Amino acid sequence: MLTELLQGSDAGGFIIIRDSASCSGRHLLKSFINAALNREEDVHVLGFEVSEEELKGSPVQRLHFHNAYSDPLGWTDKPTFTVHQFCMEELARLLKQTSHPKPATLVIDSLSWILRHVSPPAVCATLHQLRKGGAVRAIVALLHGDMHQRGTVGSVCHLASSVITVAPGMKGGDAVAKITKRSKSGKVVQDEDIFTINNDLTVVIQSKHSQVGHKQADPEEQEMDPTAHLTFNLRLSNKEREAKEKLALPFVFSKEKKTALLHSSPGSGRILYEPDANDDYDQEDPDDDLDV
Amino acid sequence: MAAPVSTVGKPSAERLPLNTTSFQKKTRTKLISIPGTRPSVQNGQLLVSTGVTSLDYLLGGGLAVGTVLLVEEDRYDSYSRMILKYFLAEGVVCRHELFVASAQDNPDDILQELPAPILDDVAIHKPVEQPRLSCEPQDSLDAMKIAWRYQNLPKVQSALASSSRFGHYYDVSKTMEPEIRQAAKCHRFYLTEHPTQSPPTHSTMLESYSALLKSLQEVINSEGFDVAAPMSKSRNILRIGLPSLGSALWGDDLSCHDNPRNGHALATFFYGLRAMLRSSLAVAVVTVPSHLIQDRALMGNITRLCDNAIALESFKGSERETNPLYKDYHGLLHVRQVPHLNCLASKLPDHKDLAFKLKRKQFTIELCQPVSTIGCQKSKVKLLTVA
Repeated sequence: MLTELLQGSDAGGFIIIRDSASCSGRHLLKSFINAALNREEDVHVLGFEVSEEELKGSPVQRLHFHNAYSDPLGWTDKPTFTVHQFCMEELARLLKQTSHPKPATLVIDSLSWILRHVSPPAVCATLHQLRKGGAVRAIVALLHGDMHQRGTVGSVCHLASSVITVAPGMKGGDAVAKITKRSKSGKVVQDEDIFTINNDLTVVIQSKHSQVGHKQADPEEQEMDPTAHLTFNLRLSNKEREAKEKLALPFVFSKEKKTALLHSSPGSGRILYEPDANDDYDQEDPDDDLDV
Repeated sequence: MAAPVSTVGKPSAERLPLNTTSFQKKTRTKLISIPGTRPSVQNGQLLVSTGVTSLDYLLGGGLAVGTVLLVEEDRYDSYSRMILKYFLAEGVVCRHELFVASAQDNPDDILQELPAPILDDVAIHKPVEQPRLSCEPQDSLDAMKIAWRYQNLPKVQSALASSSRFGHYYDVSKTMEPEIRQAAKCHRFYLTEHPTQSPPTHSTMLESYSALLKSLQEVINSEGFDVAAPMSKSRNILRIGLPSLGSALWGDDLSCHDNPRNGHALATFFYGLRAMLRSSLAVAVVTVPSHLIQDRALMGNITRLCDNAIALESFKGSERETNPLYKDYHGLLHVRQVPHLNCLASKLPDHKDLAFKLKRKQFTIELCQPVSTIGCQKSKVKLLTVA
């Protein structure tokens, strides 16, 4: 599923790459930028964490890098892009600067930086408006999952259409991507891919979902077949099976007797009782047994 | 509405079930019976169906008018949204009025995705109370070779359902026809269309919640759902659906921070909502993303402020998905709160481990049955359950 997401087939998607301290997701983010550029799309990058040279070596024409790296909080007099400009009006103005007819892809590196300085409900509202407004075709954001509280990460990921969680893989260059994709109809699909990224930022999927970890070993050990090494025969040959089915069991009745017993007449086993005078014994009345 | 209804009118289903009598209780007061409702057999409350018959059974026959049902969402909000859609679809079929308020999706989009009702009168899952008639074909006796004496006994039913037909069934794979949907009157509240005014500093409630309560109050007063309104015109029930209340899009940081700044805003909203509903002919189903709310004390507050509360836990994505015990089900259902309306104690559900399954034509809630793993796959140990 990683390749489908990279191809960006569905518009209006919001992809979050969630990484942690053990495995950085920036390479995957660069692959997404590369894939979008190869699709002849305009890409706007809000760069808070790394500078332009580090993200993309040589400037590319369709890539618009908004430098929020040098002065994100507006301490100097002329900041290029501050974190407080992350709201709908400013972003719409920013995106209108390009004259490309197709709506652009917005890449946010990273969302964690914004969440540190702007309240999460405001960030969620802006992201929601971006998606609904149609100003952008797709949003790809990097989120550091271990930098925030669980509720914050959960709230932001709840808005996303796909969440890719990267974790270090078994071998050195590998990484494991756990993908959760929510379609508009509410269906949730989950997948796991092991991938590496080449130097030219193409993603190579190694193998799908090969869980060689300890999870699988335990049930395999317990499921040894108990009928494997026996000294007696547990199976039936065909002749034996026929003979078994022909055998009349002692309490198996014929069909007629079964129906007779099932639909027995209601008066077959009735108990006729006429109340007797001796049966009026009242346990609570102490005078009942007086012979007066 | 907490007052008991003393008339037992004709049942609202099109076809009389087989076990009703024609006896009608004589009464002096003439209360207008509202379509789609029936009085509870336990305490005489006026009940409406939630759209899911198993859920009706769990709540004691249905949802009492004037109460709030809180549904704690599962991780990806698929099944809680489904319950909300069933609730609204039931409102359309019973000709109640609807009120949908949402911050994320447009209410029109939610209303367009309602499941289509199955309108033929044959019940899909009719609980087998009557024993099989004696005109059964003979070859059915071969169904049980050894235990044939049990042929005629009624089957043990593990799905929770009540005997008489109250709700309707829906087909999830089809959406409701536009003609049926437009016959019902819907009121909408979309948060992005309401511009946020300056926040009042002295109130404990966010302005998004205040705006929602004001809008609800206007609808209830103007459309005559208030109990105090004159009884001359025909009454109807207002069904209120509030998906994903308390999420970050409502401006609430309850689901974002461990120590939210305005942590009591949502609780204040529920307090106001319940007070409003007690004096009107309305029912509310609210879904809250409780898996994001880290403060369990606040979540407990919110649960206490609602009358009924259930929590859904879906197996998708958790390690329980591969557990063979749960392979037939889509998730677990926990009952967090049962209502005590006009009484001291309430009827607690007998069974605690309930699981749900969303099939195409039914959303069933069942007891979680253990599956014997050794041997043939089809054999299950069926516990004796309540009918």
